[in-house]
Amino acid sequence: MHAETLQDMALMHSDTLIERARQGDKNAQGRLVQVWYKRIYNYCFKFFLDHDLAMEASQKAFISMCRNIEALQDVGRFKSWLYKIAVNSCREEARKIKGAKAVSFDAVVNVEAEDSPGWEKTGRRNDNPEKHYQQQELADLLQQCLKELSEEQREVVIMKEYEGLKFREIAEALNISENTVKSRMYYGLDALKRILEKRNITKETVSYEL
Amino acid sequence: MNYKPDEILLISYLYGELQGDEKRQVERYLAEHPDALKEVESLAFVRKSLANVPDKEVIAPPIVFDDRKTRYFWNTPFGRSLMGIAASLTLILLVGKLTGLNVSYTSNTLTVRFGDPKELPVVDAVQPGLSAYAVQEMIDQSLKQNNDQLQVQWTETQQKLDQSIRTNLAGRSDADFNKLVQRVSVASEDQIRQFALTLQAENASMIKDYMTLNSTDQRKYMQELLVDFAKYLEQQHRNDLQVLQARLNNIEQDTDLFKHETEQILTSIISSVDNTNSLVTKN
Repeated sequence: MHAETLQDMALMHSDTLIERARQGDKNAQGRLVQVWYKRIYNYCFKFFLDHDLAMEASQKAFISMCRNIEALQDVGRFKSWLYKIAVNSCREEARKIKGAKAVSFDAVVNVEAEDSPGWEKTGRRNDNPEKHYQQQELADLLQQCLKELSEEQREVVIMKEYEGLKFREIAEALNISENTVKSRMYYGLDALKRILEKRNITKETVSYEL
Repeated sequence: MNYKPDEILLISYLYGELQGDEKRQVERYLAEHPDALKEVESLAFVRKSLANVPDKEVIAPPIVFDDRKTRYFWNTPFGRSLMGIAASLTLILLVGKLTGLNVSYTSNTLTVRFGDPKELPVVDAVQPGLSAYAVQEMIDQSLKQNNDQLQVQWTETQQKLDQSIRTNLAGRSDADFNKLVQRVSVASEDQIRQFALTLQAENASMIKDYMTLNSTDQRKYMQELLVDFAKYLEQQHRNDLQVLQARLNNIEQDTDLFKHETEQILTSIISSVDNTNSLVTKN
């Protein structure tokens, strides 16, 4: 119950922020970027599985947001509107990298040698380090599986599963009907299931980790 | 029974969006068809697995906006210099035209001139001269004439002066003198009376001035006293206000801090996704 009211407060606060940003308040626009950056970045990261591309796409999305926010009609639709911008930004970046045969720097430099391994990162003290490491490994694996989905399915799955958008909001962001979203979701999950099975991630193999 | 839920219904069921009859219908169907149930359960497992990917922490980079002013051609550096050159050329041409500048090079002579060519007037080098003697003679003659004229004027003035003195002396008599003396004495009596009068008036005005001065001094003093008192009151008032202002500022700062903290908390709430939407588990 308490969390509910906090969530409401946060939403109300964000509504006033959006309203102010819409009237051209640069300060409010900056605040909005701060508030939403983590979400949009995470969306882009899961889409590309690449930090640099995700940074590029999310920054472009926010620049576009600030330029066009004055034209936003309905404050209540801000979330789906913002995700629509993010989706377009990601698609544009994806189109770009499809043309250019650039190799990400991360692919050249040995990332694992520079980043601390998963078990070195600080977690709660009573966490089991081995479990923590396995979880990290599983997360990486899952993200790679996600990358194997088609672009359309990936968008829907990320928005639903990780960004917590409603089907209606996803439909608005992608400019498609709610039923199309649901069917893409179904086939996306189905495809993921097969990919997971191919990598031998089944109920039996991971159940001890969950 | 021909009922078979399509993938849209199944997804709605999986995400707990179905209610009432629809939900019961799907549940009944799943109970009757184990393979369909298995399918739904495996999808639920995929969802559960997906939940294992945590959010990446990231710090929003500052995004700086430039004012999107459209740059016209003449506002670019290249355009500007081009326009500058064109303008100076036009200016030079205009000035040349207005001043009628004409530059020509003919037969080894460079000519720069303004306006139409003009024939210079030829000055005669030779002039008829006068001899030194003739000049001397002319000077002597004019001097002599001058002297003569001055002599004549001088004698004329002398005669006029003599005549006027003589006529003046002849016109005076004793009676005139008597009248003059009388007039003088009357005048002195008038003067004395006048002097006494002015003395009196001066005295009166002096006393009056003194009195008024005195009273104005007193008034001024009173006024100053009042003004000082008012100033003192005002100062006191201002001090009070400053104390109040300081207190208010403190309160404002506290509120700002509080607001900031609240905002941060709210921000963190917004950016963490509520992922507790109902997962269908097998019952």
